[in-house]
Amino acid sequence: MFEKIKDIIVENLGVKEEEVTLDASLTDDLGADSLDAVELIMAIEDEFDISINDSDAQAMKTVQNIVDYLNK
Amino acid sequence: MMKKLIINNKESKYPIIQGGMGIGISLSRLSIASIKAGIVGTISAAQPGFLSKKFKSDTLNSNLEALAREIKTVRDECPDGILGVNVMYAGTNYDEYIKFLSKQEIDFIVSGAGLPVDLPKYLKGSSVKPAVIVSSGKAAKIICKKWMRSFNVLPEFVVVEGPLAGGHLGFSKEEIESGDYKSLETLLEEVLIEVRKVEEEYKVSIPVIPAGGISTGEDVARYIEMGSAGVQVATRFIATEECDVSDAYKQKIVNAREEDVIFVPSPVGLPGRAIRNAFTDALKTKNQKIKYCVDCLRVCAKKDIPYCITEKLGNASGGDAENGLVFSGAKAYMIDRISTVKEIVEELISECKYCFE
Ligand SMILES: Cc1cc2nc3c(=O)[nH]c(=O)nc-3n(C[C@H](O)[C@H](O)[C@H](O)COP(=O)(O)O)c2cc1C
Repeated sequence: MFEKIKDIIVENLGVKEEEVTLDASLTDDLGADSLDAVELIMAIEDEFDISINDSDAQAMKTVQNIVDYLNK
Repeated sequence: MMKKLIINNKESKYPIIQGGMGIGISLSRLSIASIKAGIVGTISAAQPGFLSKKFKSDTLNSNLEALAREIKTVRDECPDGILGVNVMYAGTNYDEYIKFLSKQEIDFIVSGAGLPVDLPKYLKGSSVKPAVIVSSGKAAKIICKKWMRSFNVLPEFVVVEGPLAGGHLGFSKEEIESGDYKSLETLLEEVLIEVRKVEEEYKVSIPVIPAGGISTGEDVARYIEMGSAGVQVATRFIATEECDVSDAYKQKIVNAREEDVIFVPSPVGLPGRAIRNAFTDALKTKNQKIKYCVDCLRVCAKKDIPYCITEKLGNASGGDAENGLVFSGAKAYMIDRISTVKEIVEELISECKYCFE
């Protein structure tokens, strides 16, 4: 799961693989602005063929949050 | 050649949108004059109730009542014109404004100052169309994808705001200071590329409208030549007899020289563009005392801010153009007299037609 998400993040945020750790914050560590965040969520929806509602999406602050959500 | 600008199935005589200007700058009088001159009118939802007695105690309702009144005033005179309301996404109670406006006699709601990801949510079953203001091709692409996915709608039109616009800018202080920002031409190209893809995919037509510093008919012709469906103009319409703002504010715009148009910090972090006055001079040395707070913007820190934007903009708009904030576009210095909306529109259109001949 983490590997798959890492790939999506690297592709969408243009960061290096080693920067994407579980506790990395999307905004502070990976430099995602609000546009990037919306784009990232849509990419995850596409990849996993799911629909993430806005409040769940807004609660995703770190890579760990995303992994936890998808593991549920 | 001049294209037709169609919004909400109505055709505008000329492809120009009068941009929304808060606080109290673009209300019913400016919209009526705009519609009568053959262009699209926009009322700004930024604190239109500022002059109401209960503004400080019941901000939301004074604003909603003022909006209903302004819209009705326009519709009494111009039942068929194209009229919209500009609602900043960064504003407090965004959803309340949209729900309220979805039942009003307007053609569109346009939102910028943030990415209005959920604007269409409140417009289901309403004849009011959602439109968006962006400052990059990426934002245009994301909003189209998001709206299509979540609500199965696309923007009625897309305004591309460039670095010469007035009010808050969609660029950071660093970008502005280093000159590291794209021109409106470049941004327009980026947005056109993204919007064309969406148009292809869904077989629709989405007008793309550049804004920011457009002040001559030659500008209008150039952007139409590039593929835009029209242009949005704001600052030029401040210096008109019909503009809703105070005469003192209009005079500040008329008298401004190039060096008087400056950047000011704002409580929300992003820089704004304004006319230099006693207020901006005072701001250089110390923050201004905050007298009250109506919780206008979600993104305002409310503490340790340089000044209160509602208070200062509202005061300037109401007549204290020395001690208030006079927001303005970069080309204000080109304006040297008060004219009428009709005169400006006719000048822009005849110059534009001349360029095409
Ligand atoms: C005084 C002033 C107030 C403005 N207020 C708003 C506003 O409340 N909401 C918004 O989205 N844009 C606002 N704008 C931006 C305009 O709608 C417009 O897009 C931009 O200023 C166009 O550039 P121009 O002024 O050079 O024509 C404002 C602009 C000015 C000059």
